[in-house]
Amino acid sequence: MTLSGYEALFFWIFGLAAIFAGLLTVMARNAVHSALFLISSLVSVAALFILSRAEFIAGVQILVYVGGVMVLFLFVIMLVNVGAEERGSEEIFNNQRQVAASLIFCLLLVGGMLYAINTGFNGMKARNSTPPAVVEAQEASRDQAHGASATGSSRITKDTESVGGSLYRYASLPFEIASVLLLVAIIGSVMLARTLKQEASVDDVDPGIAD
Amino acid sequence: MKNAAANPDLSKFLVIGALLFIIGVAGVLTRRNIIVIFMSIELILNAANLNFIAFSRYLSTTGSANALAGQIFTVFVIVVAAAEAAIGLGIVIALYRNKETIWVDEIDLLKW
Repeated sequence: MTLSGYEALFFWIFGLAAIFAGLLTVMARNAVHSALFLISSLVSVAALFILSRAEFIAGVQILVYVGGVMVLFLFVIMLVNVGAEERGSEEIFNNQRQVAASLIFCLLLVGGMLYAINTGFNGMKARNSTPPAVVEAQEASRDQAHGASATGSSRITKDTESVGGSLYRYASLPFEIASVLLLVAIIGSVMLARTLKQEASVDDVDPGIAD
Repeated sequence: MKNAAANPDLSKFLVIGALLFIIGVAGVLTRRNIIVIFMSIELILNAANLNFIAFSRYLSTTGSANALAGQIFTVFVIVVAAAEAAIGLGIVIALYRNKETIWVDEIDLLKW
């Protein structure tokens, strides 16, 4: 799976951009700035998805996550947060002992995760040892087998076709459950955001309709 | 031996996912603004998605038949994240209507 050449360059650019934007999300004073940094981080992760040959998931991430969820966040920030910025003097972090404790915990987590990733990855490499030349040859033959795009400069991959086939054949039950989950979320969020007047008038019916 | 920096492998993807996860956890633990806490939760879910996709790519190069399961799972993680964001922000709006605050340490009615 080793990337090389331009793919490696773009991997480092988008990987570091994702981490940097994530860090700024957590550290920004203004909530709108945090939302915009999160959007940059999500778009960088979508680029990393494209580098991993998951183009459909990258498109889903940009359409649904950035275009739906983050726009919803921005709407709610505008509804709820506008007064806080005008004051500008509120403390944005918890008190010092809590921040220190969570930073120590996160440093321990960093050490533990890096150690676990290195040990696990070396063990996995020792077990599946196909020589890299064979893997590259297989990759190249698979890439050449795809049809050419309209401009002729790249190939059209079969990622969307494979994901769609798997979703509708093997994962059809989770797919239907996910749609029920979304229906429940829609009903729940409409109910949660009602004003008192709307809740009180829920039983009001036009006198000409009932009885 | 190829240079590890010029040819990033699966482990580099996992490291980026781990760092994003830890930044999200730090955001949840340290921020006072409830909406920024929700955004850090989205960072955590995104890091998990990156792990899934990286492993899906790795498995497809080593020829396993389950290689697409990572991408399928990512679709469901995105679905769950969207539903959770909608409900969570509805709760934030209802909370703001009742208490006029977005700072989590001011929401302490149930504390002893």
